[in-house]
Amino acid sequence: MTCGFCGHVFKEEDGIRGCGACGLPGKCHMIRCPKCNYENPLEPALLKKLRTMFTKGADE
Amino acid sequence: MGVAAAVNRGVGADRVRRVALVGNPNVGKSVLFNALTGAYVTVSNYPGTSVEVSHGSVTIAGVACEIIDTPGMYALLPITEEERVARELLLKDPPDLVIHVLDARNLERMLSMTIQLIEAGLPTLLVVNIMDEAERMGITVATELLQQRLGIPVIAAATARKRGLAEIRRAIVAYERPNCPLFNYSPRLDQDIAAVAGLLRGEYHISAKAVALLLLQGDDEVAALVAASEADNWEKIARTVKNKRFERRESFNVDLSMERKNVVSALLDGVLVLPEKRRVTLGERLSTLAVRPLTGVPLLLVILYFGLYKFVGDFGAGTLVDFFENQLIEAYFNPFAIQLVKAVIPWEIFQELFVGEYGIITLGLRYAVGIILPIVATFFLFFSVLEDSGYFPRLALLVDRLFKKIGLTGRAVIPMVLGFGCDTMATMVTRTLETVRERILATLLLALAIPCSAQLGVILALLSKVPGALLVWSLCLLLIFLVVGFLAARLLPGETPMFYMELPPMRLPQLSNILTKTYTRMQWYFLEILPLFVFASVLLWLGKITGFFEKAVNGLSPLMAALGLPPEVAVAFIFGFFRRDYGAAGLYDLQTKGGLDPRQLTVAAVTLTLFIPCIAQFLVMKKERGWKVATLIGVFVSLLAFGSGWLLNQTLLLTGWL
Repeated sequence: MTCGFCGHVFKEEDGIRGCGACGLPGKCHMIRCPKCNYENPLEPALLKKLRTMFTKGADE
Repeated sequence: MGVAAAVNRGVGADRVRRVALVGNPNVGKSVLFNALTGAYVTVSNYPGTSVEVSHGSVTIAGVACEIIDTPGMYALLPITEEERVARELLLKDPPDLVIHVLDARNLERMLSMTIQLIEAGLPTLLVVNIMDEAERMGITVATELLQQRLGIPVIAAATARKRGLAEIRRAIVAYERPNCPLFNYSPRLDQDIAAVAGLLRGEYHISAKAVALLLLQGDDEVAALVAASEADNWEKIARTVKNKRFERRESFNVDLSMERKNVVSALLDGVLVLPEKRRVTLGERLSTLAVRPLTGVPLLLVILYFGLYKFVGDFGAGTLVDFFENQLIEAYFNPFAIQLVKAVIPWEIFQELFVGEYGIITLGLRYAVGIILPIVATFFLFFSVLEDSGYFPRLALLVDRLFKKIGLTGRAVIPMVLGFGCDTMATMVTRTLETVRERILATLLLALAIPCSAQLGVILALLSKVPGALLVWSLCLLLIFLVVGFLAARLLPGETPMFYMELPPMRLPQLSNILTKTYTRMQWYFLEILPLFVFASVLLWLGKITGFFEKAVNGLSPLMAALGLPPEVAVAFIFGFFRRDYGAAGLYDLQTKGGLDPRQLTVAAVTLTLFIPCIAQFLVMKKERGWKVATLIGVFVSLLAFGSGWLLNQTLLLTGWL
């Protein structure tokens, strides 16, 4: 994913996950850039799946 | 001797082909890695370091490949731990193919590493990436001519746009080790290299020339490796290296850089054609305008006017809310829900819980869906457009000078900008600021003067209907933000750190990115607020049936009177303690029923914006800054909010402005 602030390209697993300290219900859907710490929204699983399907189709 | 055995071993059809991606940071290696590997990826720390290396498996045209994404490196001579790891990956167990990815816009600067890879005898493929941007700048690269001169395959690509991916895949499978030309330096340098290389007797994974060059550059790791490999011969090699370096008065590295620059210039003669007059793209022009105070501030005001005022305030909080709340929920949904609940639940007290004055459906759901959702949808759409255009880092540079006056730097723009989305999340992000002083200042200012998206939208919608009210509200907020920041920065000891950042290019926002980000943020926001709004409705219902809520409203009445507000506004303040946006929605409700005149509306909006942070933000403040600081900020913010409200009311009464 590309950080919306500094443009750093990083893998989702390299990003910094929320800690749940805010006490809000549900899991945090934000992921912070390892370079500048800006919070980026995590792509929903459904959209990711759709995108992967289309990307695969295009690649082939 | 010289070239690694691993390099010479060839690749059997049944063996996994190991392909390493190398290059400077931010040239698109990871994009290429993801495009090549897809989902089959493992990430692990390189042994003995904290540097992560990604491995991915893929089969290309029947050939099984392992793709390795190495950390960014600038040269074979490492400086940072990342570069050291990247080099070790190449030298200790050389891959079957090294793909050097470089940025076409900086070809002259980055090609030096390609020379080093070829010199080292590594099987190299060059990907000239980001060609789309280079072409937009009027740069042309004759890749075929470059391929002839380098003696390795060269592919022009724009991996982010999938350009060149098919060629890269084909090249990975078809790669055969070519005979690369030797790059000649000046006779003196060639003699120095030959003098050291000629002494090497051991077996190395890279060429003797590359080993000699690294020794002459004073590479301690390679020196230790050679010392172990050469045994008795090492002393002679070390002496020769020392003499050669001494003869050049220790300027070997500078001399080599200059010579490599000459080699690169000769290679690029006729290959790289730059436009006569550098073509300045629209993005670059906008970028310059955005960071210069003289043009940046008016540009910011234009963005705020059209983005926040017209789009979020006028369209989102006006037109859309009117449609959802009045035309859908109030006209159709609520009467149906009330009828249904009354038919199903016989007890009035429980009917109240769902469809009463503070009912889960008639208040909680109506606020969440009818008022807050349209506003946050328009706000996040506007936010995503700005984010995807690359405007935010420019904003950070623009406000850096102003922020330094309040003890912060441009870096604090990140939590401040995020605060307009949700102050709770933004408070958490303050931990990334460099000093404790900055963190406390940013936490205080977030709690005080940064309204969250929904609160901002509702207030914009309410105040835009009263001439002058929005201006008074904006000036009050800005003044309080600056004065409190300025005074707090003087009270808290410490220095303001330096701020610097690399600016990513400004670009045309992509529709798919904007929609994905807006949808994700909306989904997250809605899922987060809905249970809280339901919970708040239950608490208010409990407060109502126990009489506690009435007592709280009565208790706040003198305070409301002091602010020149009717007692009913206390409800919005109580709501606001649950959530900022809930409070703003309460005020909206009150105003649509015609409960406030222009002065009262402005005073209530200013006080409510400054008022105590919501429960979630308070919890994060406690977690990040501790009980003491969080309580102090909470008390200070509340006192300041009511103090400012009182002062504003008196000023407006005296001047008769509104």
